[in-house]
Amino acid sequence: MSVAEEPAPCSGARMGEDTTFEAVWDTPKGWRVLSSVSHRVVGRRFIYTGFVFFLIAGVLALLVRTQLIVPGNDFLDLETYNQVFTMHGTLMMFLFAIPILEGFAVYLIPLMLGARDLIFPRLGQFGYYCYLFGGIIVLSSFLFDAAPDGGWFMYVPLSTTDFTPDISADFWLIGITFAEIASVTAAVELITAILCARAPGMSLAKMPIFAWYILITAFMIAIGFPPLIIGSILLEAERLLGLPFFDPLAGGDPLLWQHLFWLFGHPEVYIIFLPAAGMVATMLPTFVGAPLFGYGFAVAAVVSMGFISFGLWAHHMFATGLPILSLSLFSAASTMVAVPTGVQIFCFIATLASGRPRLTTPMLFILGFLAIFVLGGLTGVMLASVPFNWQAHDSYFVVAHLHYVLIGGMVFPLFGAFYYWAPHFSGRMLSERLGRWVFWLMFIGFNTTFLLMHLTGLRGMPRRIATYPEGIGWDRLNMLSSIGSYILAAGVALFVYDVFRSLRRGPLAPRNPWGAATLEWLYPPVTPGFNFHGIPPVHSREPLWDQPELLEREAHEVDGLMHGLRDGRRETLGCDPVTGAPLYILRLPHPTWVPMIAAAGLALMFGATLASVYWLCALGGVIALAAFAVWAWEPSDSGVERDVGMGTTLPVNLVDRRSHTHVGIVGTMLVLMALFASLIFGLLYLWNTQPQIAATMAAPLAVPSGLAGIAGLAVALFGQFTRHFALQGRTGRAALLAQLTAIAALLSGASLGWALLPVDPRATAFGATLWAIAGFVAINLCVVVFWALFNAARKLAGRVGPGQSLPDFNLATFAKGTGLMVIISAAFCLAGTLGGAAQ
Amino acid sequence: MDSTLGIFNSQNALTDAGQGAAQTLWLTWIMTAAGIAIFVLVMGFIALAWRARGGGRTWWIVGGGVVFPVVALAALFAASTVVLRGIAGHMDAPHVIEVTGKQFWWDVVYDPEGRALRDSNEIVLPLGEPVEIRLKSADVIHSFWVPSIAGKMDMIPGRVNRLTVTATKAGRFRGQCAEFCGLSHPLMAFEVVVLPPGDYAAFLASLDGEARDAVTPTERRGAEIFQSAGCIACHRVRGLSEARIGPDLSRLGARAALGAGMWEMNTGNLAGWIADVGDMKPGAQMPSYNHLSGPDLRALVAWLESLT
Repeated sequence: MSVAEEPAPCSGARMGEDTTFEAVWDTPKGWRVLSSVSHRVVGRRFIYTGFVFFLIAGVLALLVRTQLIVPGNDFLDLETYNQVFTMHGTLMMFLFAIPILEGFAVYLIPLMLGARDLIFPRLGQFGYYCYLFGGIIVLSSFLFDAAPDGGWFMYVPLSTTDFTPDISADFWLIGITFAEIASVTAAVELITAILCARAPGMSLAKMPIFAWYILITAFMIAIGFPPLIIGSILLEAERLLGLPFFDPLAGGDPLLWQHLFWLFGHPEVYIIFLPAAGMVATMLPTFVGAPLFGYGFAVAAVVSMGFISFGLWAHHMFATGLPILSLSLFSAASTMVAVPTGVQIFCFIATLASGRPRLTTPMLFILGFLAIFVLGGLTGVMLASVPFNWQAHDSYFVVAHLHYVLIGGMVFPLFGAFYYWAPHFSGRMLSERLGRWVFWLMFIGFNTTFLLMHLTGLRGMPRRIATYPEGIGWDRLNMLSSIGSYILAAGVALFVYDVFRSLRRGPLAPRNPWGAATLEWLYPPVTPGFNFHGIPPVHSREPLWDQPELLEREAHEVDGLMHGLRDGRRETLGCDPVTGAPLYILRLPHPTWVPMIAAAGLALMFGATLASVYWLCALGGVIALAAFAVWAWEPSDSGVERDVGMGTTLPVNLVDRRSHTHVGIVGTMLVLMALFASLIFGLLYLWNTQPQIAATMAAPLAVPSGLAGIAGLAVALFGQFTRHFALQGRTGRAALLAQLTAIAALLSGASLGWALLPVDPRATAFGATLWAIAGFVAINLCVVVFWALFNAARKLAGRVGPGQSLPDFNLATFAKGTGLMVIISAAFCLAGTLGGAAQ
Repeated sequence: MDSTLGIFNSQNALTDAGQGAAQTLWLTWIMTAAGIAIFVLVMGFIALAWRARGGGRTWWIVGGGVVFPVVALAALFAASTVVLRGIAGHMDAPHVIEVTGKQFWWDVVYDPEGRALRDSNEIVLPLGEPVEIRLKSADVIHSFWVPSIAGKMDMIPGRVNRLTVTATKAGRFRGQCAEFCGLSHPLMAFEVVVLPPGDYAAFLASLDGEARDAVTPTERRGAEIFQSAGCIACHRVRGLSEARIGPDLSRLGARAALGAGMWEMNTGNLAGWIADVGDMKPGAQMPSYNHLSGPDLRALVAWLESLT
């Protein structure tokens, strides 16, 4: 398109006038760039690293297709093939799809919402290094000739020590769990950023649609990843310590793994789809020249999709022998998800009709997305039918379906997004001409590969088979699918070429090259490190279209809050989560190595676990803990007020439940509660499926169980009072109650352990799960105690000024949640006691 | 074209050699037709929207995104439930077969609560009569799938799953493990033979009593090697051994395929299997008997082929 080919007028913002501001936000130079915490740097790293994993996983896919091109092929032996398809799925799902989308969210959300950075920048850096190190651990298994070969779903008992005695499964469990930390931290970070740091006046209803998609996705990650994290930890504990969570002889159940896995795995599909759909909903209006039609419908659809996606997991398990009633319920729920999907598709269609669509490369990818994803959705509805599912499940029909949904629903929008947002990464446009080639190669290659697979599957070809005999009726179909995969790969290769070509020869991107409506185009795409000199008040969903004053002047001259505020600190605006009214100045950290050191400590801990060098493991843990302590050890700035311009004066920080730190703690509690709920789910599930073995377990002691319950209640109540006094600014009382909370936490942890003394965790899965619950609660209680000591130490060291009660307030919120966990755990111990007494 | 190794009629969910497969196939065609129609409609709608200049309408979203899907999905769900009831409904099957999945073969017991007649890697079904197949696993999760006859059901350690099937066409069909079960998962198939009810009864009767006696000197030599080389420690041959570690070989020669539905049963393949099983099926527990002399191997193969 024409805009792309024009040479860019160089804007003054590249050398803006406000040097103090730019110096404060400048990205560190040289190798110190690794200490950067800026969302621009971290987001791009997620995207680049994710793309590298995409290419690796793509090569693995080509190996798969090459092996299957003819029957009886011996290009790969069975073991290698199993490793290759396992790693293909693992890399694509865990190390490409989620991280790259989170990378886009990390990069775009502050720019779109009018924030100068994400709110917890160090968490972003920490998450990135967890992801990188975890990914390296998983990939390094190839070097040790121990690549995981149990499938990306790691079903037990195949992945237990009985059937996978080598450490390949440990590589998977440890590496992936490590990398998942990044997903969860990014989720908490994004929830808080979207709720707490928006431009003045940007109410929830005026947020760009992308922010809604990311907000819901982040909540889904916070709730959806914990079941898998818990499942992986339980499985690793079974492998390392012999705790029989999944062993049917000891009251465990292999299906518990499948439930936990798909409790994660199904929402995961929507976690991958929604951000990509959010990209479509962002790009489409630009090329149509009209706002997204049906914004409210789209938001409602995304929210309901978030809920429904947690009720579908068992449709991956229709052939496991579930009762007919469960089958029907899950079948109905699975068909129902087509409704919010349909609503979104029709919002897009109605948007198309609202203006004059331009057929740019991103638009081509959007059309490709619509075609492929609609077909994938329709086969998804077919698979929701139980009888059909019994035939199609674990056949190539499902392979076709899932690639239609994931490549159509995620990869095509993503490539559109690459073309659309490319100026943000290089300052240059990608080629529209090559882009068309990339699209058509990918589109034709994709459909050749996967359309035929529907038929291959119905003709009876199961998934995950390294070889097949000649003459069953699969030969030509597989040959064509393999040829298609090479065409698809050629499209991706051409894209990579286009990227490198454009770095040198691509036309420079002007300010807002596509004529978009959202704030990320306010500045010329590439700035050294800053986002907004002044944060402009926003009173439209399409600010760049409806507020002409924004594009009339050079970007750095646009009027806004905090323009010219000189604190020598990185700062952005904290807002009311609902109305977007500015509430406070939010001080942000500067570049630091600490999060990286924490992640490296964890990497050492996980790596040493793999190598069974446990003193090194402890050392890694100590390094990580020390880094976390340094991280949190910083002055609290509450109580200062600043004039932020435009007639507004705001305080620095806020002692309120709307404070970003408090929202972050609540987000963290959400994750912890989901982890806890996953354990409770496991306990109830085992109790329900294997009651006779659960009954053979030695009962927990009644008196300490009761004590634990009372102490837990005390933790929660003291926490509540601490919050109360902290909100009133009565810091002395708040501090005293925080100490009491810590003492109650110690007591409850000890009683819980005492109550479980008679329970042998190796004897029954039920006992092992009780111990796992107690262990998880104990870790949270340790955090409460550690935190209370830490706050006290900060006060002694004068790092918390008088009248600043925010640290105790946040601790108390955490303690309340932990107290609730103790009470529930104690109740289950008591139930175990009573159940034992009833025998 | 649907013949693997020239011995199977099919392994194909688009044929209808069983009640479950036939009813599901009906559902498959209906859903496919409806799916294609909806796809074409939506694409047409996109093309129209591309040209339209009047702007979007809310009723498109309500109609296309809510009303139409709800109606269509309700109809689909109703049809699907009818078929589900039809398939999973009758539990009063006159025959019971217990199939246990093992890495990487199938242990089969007919009438497990009565005569308990054992065989391996081949399942014989009576034409037109419902059979309850009880599915177990001895190690990891497998899945029992004969696409031409019925949908699949998993075999899970610690559980017994039940699948009722009614074969409606006589012939020999191929089934295959559908849940990834480890190294040789792709090499874990089996034969399903559908016989008229009279022949089925005769077949069951043939599973009782001792296996066929060795007749020729070569066969007798083969039977001796079977015992002296240690085969007898793992394999059951009625009258000789009751071992249950490996597949039952009492009527190996009667099967059409070798190595759990993988290779055509003939002298060359069988000799190759015995001499080098680790190459043909990696991960199988059987050691390769490559130390047997040529004549011994030939004798052993001749005897095994005579077991029908």
